[in-house]
Amino acid sequence: MLSFVIEVNNLSKTFPDGTEALKNVTVTIPDGDFVAIIGLSGAGKSTFLRCLNRLVEPTQGEIRAHGTDVISLRGRALQRYRRTIGFIFQQFNLVTRLSVIENVLSGRLGYHATWRGVLGLYTERDVELARHYIDRVGLNEKEQTRVDQLSGGQQQRVAIARAMTQEPQLILADEPMASLDPRLSDVILGLLKDYNEEHGVTVLVNIHVLELAKRYAKRILAFNKGELVFDGPVEALSDTLEGEIYTGSLEAL
Amino acid sequence: MLIYTLVGAGLALLLGLANSSMRRLMIAGSVGLIITFFTLPFGQVSGFLSRETVRPTLFGFLPIYPLFSLILVAALLSLAISLRGRRIGGTASLTAGLTTLILALSWAERPTSLASLLPLYGLMEAVTGIAATAIIVGISWGIPRARLPGLLIGIALGTTIFFGLTSNSGQAIFPKTPGYYKLLTSTPSGTETSIIESYNSGLEELNRQRRSIGLNLLEPITTITGLEGQRIPREAAEAGFRLVEPNRTAYGTTVTFLLIGLMVGGGLMAIWRPRLQDRADLSTGTLLAIIICTLTPAFAATNFSFNRLVEGWPFLLDFLDRAWPPNVGALQEVASQMLITIEIALVGTFLAAVFAVPLSFLASRNLTFGNPLMRAVFGLTRGFFNLDRGIDTLILALVFVAAVGLGPFAGVLAMAIHSIADLGKVYSESIENVDRGPIEALEAVGASGTNVVRWAILPQVGPLFIAWTLYRFEINFRVSIVLGLVGAGGIGFFIQEKMGTGTYNQMIVAILAIILVVNIIDFASSWLRGRLV
Repeated sequence: MLSFVIEVNNLSKTFPDGTEALKNVTVTIPDGDFVAIIGLSGAGKSTFLRCLNRLVEPTQGEIRAHGTDVISLRGRALQRYRRTIGFIFQQFNLVTRLSVIENVLSGRLGYHATWRGVLGLYTERDVELARHYIDRVGLNEKEQTRVDQLSGGQQQRVAIARAMTQEPQLILADEPMASLDPRLSDVILGLLKDYNEEHGVTVLVNIHVLELAKRYAKRILAFNKGELVFDGPVEALSDTLEGEIYTGSLEAL
Repeated sequence: MLIYTLVGAGLALLLGLANSSMRRLMIAGSVGLIITFFTLPFGQVSGFLSRETVRPTLFGFLPIYPLFSLILVAALLSLAISLRGRRIGGTASLTAGLTTLILALSWAERPTSLASLLPLYGLMEAVTGIAATAIIVGISWGIPRARLPGLLIGIALGTTIFFGLTSNSGQAIFPKTPGYYKLLTSTPSGTETSIIESYNSGLEELNRQRRSIGLNLLEPITTITGLEGQRIPREAAEAGFRLVEPNRTAYGTTVTFLLIGLMVGGGLMAIWRPRLQDRADLSTGTLLAIIICTLTPAFAATNFSFNRLVEGWPFLLDFLDRAWPPNVGALQEVASQMLITIEIALVGTFLAAVFAVPLSFLASRNLTFGNPLMRAVFGLTRGFFNLDRGIDTLILALVFVAAVGLGPFAGVLAMAIHSIADLGKVYSESIENVDRGPIEALEAVGASGTNVVRWAILPQVGPLFIAWTLYRFEINFRVSIVLGLVGAGGIGFFIQEKMGTGTYNQMIVAILAIILVVNIIDFASSWLRGRLV
């Protein structure tokens, strides 16, 4: 496994409506970490994750992922980069009219020529991988079920299987439990944690529930109003700091 | 004409009993009367040829009957006072209504007379120009940045139209008649006698001709009243004289009497129950007045007449009589023609769908905003759709019948080409409304653009496409029935043929078959669509 160090330098993002979602964020994330990103909604957590795989174009700054300059990637090169990153969305973003296995297999589209993908000509290995991860997230009975027949928690597991089937070197999860019953949080985070431990793959999770972040993460990044205000191990997060992150009164720092 | 006043008053009474606002009706009456005064024809004055007949407005009659100015004054006063509502408003409206009624009735009692035309040169041209300016300025006013350019362009366009249409010789391209809006003025003294003389002198010759074809002879006349129901001599008409017969009405007269009814009825109700008023009366009343003043000319233009329907009723009964009982022997032919009609719709819809699917992707804003080239393609495709949607299948069919000859092929071509645009538009709207999530997800796994379309968009829009195509087939089936009438074959052609030969009992079989099949197809298609979406 290649080391997948992410170096972010002075990253800023200003949206066309003038919102400054990120302000000069500089951070390095070593390979194999399990990082929780915390902060109020609108603090820039989501924009930060989306910049990492270029779903959002940064306004300025630099992102390097194991040496590659991510910002300059275009076209095919960008697709090759993206296939190494699994992205898990708050709203699952599955094609609900397709079956579980079709959704999971679409995680392999980045590895094939366009025409093969269009015709749905996946390799045997693709299918094996897809089955393996469907099994892994506990949906082996539901392989051929249409996604709109599944519960929210099951759908998010399908989305996780899709991300894992990409054989990613990095997993980005944007509030993966926010649309689910809170009791399912442990299931979702457990799957990500196990994957992180078994494969040594870096996982970045946006969480707004501090308790969960503390329980699972080794390291915490805290955002407030677009700025990175805390970066360190869980133990270093003091109660006063916590309070300030969540009340938004960080001018006091 | 008084019947319209009764209708208006009756309407006001009913609405009043239903606690509807009476002030609204009073305002509608007053505003309508003001509009009518200037724009709707109140009578007809004739010349020598029928095309020399002019339909002046109340304003047009003003110079020869100055009392009409009281109508305008009454309407304006009634509008101003009825805005205040209560009993005083009702009284004003009632008074204005009665004044107008008396004036309109006294006009109708006037004897036939002569008047000379006074065209208002440039008026219609100016109205056209101002209307163009108003439209441009009105559209651009909503966008703050476009206000000034809109104003300038509007004024420039209006001025161009005004000067482009106006010509010194009075012969504009549009409106063609020099001075479309005409006033009537009194004739110089001596005109009447000279016209009477000229009429009497030509009478001998005319009577000789009438005798030869056996018509009754005409008497010489002594006053202009004697010309009633006839026409004035050619030279007099060419000199701009017209015969004014106040008992000849136009649709503006109808509107006037109806509005009188609203004003009188509304006024009386308002005096009786002064609480019947509403906050938005001015706008709703004006709207009502505009509707009345727009609908009436439309009814007049379409020659709407209950009398003719009543007169034609026996013919309808005769038709049914001859059509019944249906000739069951025609069933075989009807079935095969019906099949052709369905097949035209099937092929036309199928071909349209085949072309519309790829085009719809090019016409979707969300798939094409990436680069300027694609945006140009988007504009072109949308432009083609809008152009094509404007040309109805029937018109296309007429063109194709001329090109490829009579028969179903022309119908299929016409239907396919028109439906491409209709389907393409609804398909592309479906594409624009897809859930963004799956698109984002597939972009995030590194799938290429084509694969995003294949795996994120197609699964979402596929069922919608099928549903829209089915719906289009429903419409196309009905279109294809009518297509037969322009020679494209099928059941419509059969009906036309049987109508021509008078074999109504065969035609009725086709009509019954259409009712049956239309309902079956609509039912089946909506059931299928319901299951899909």
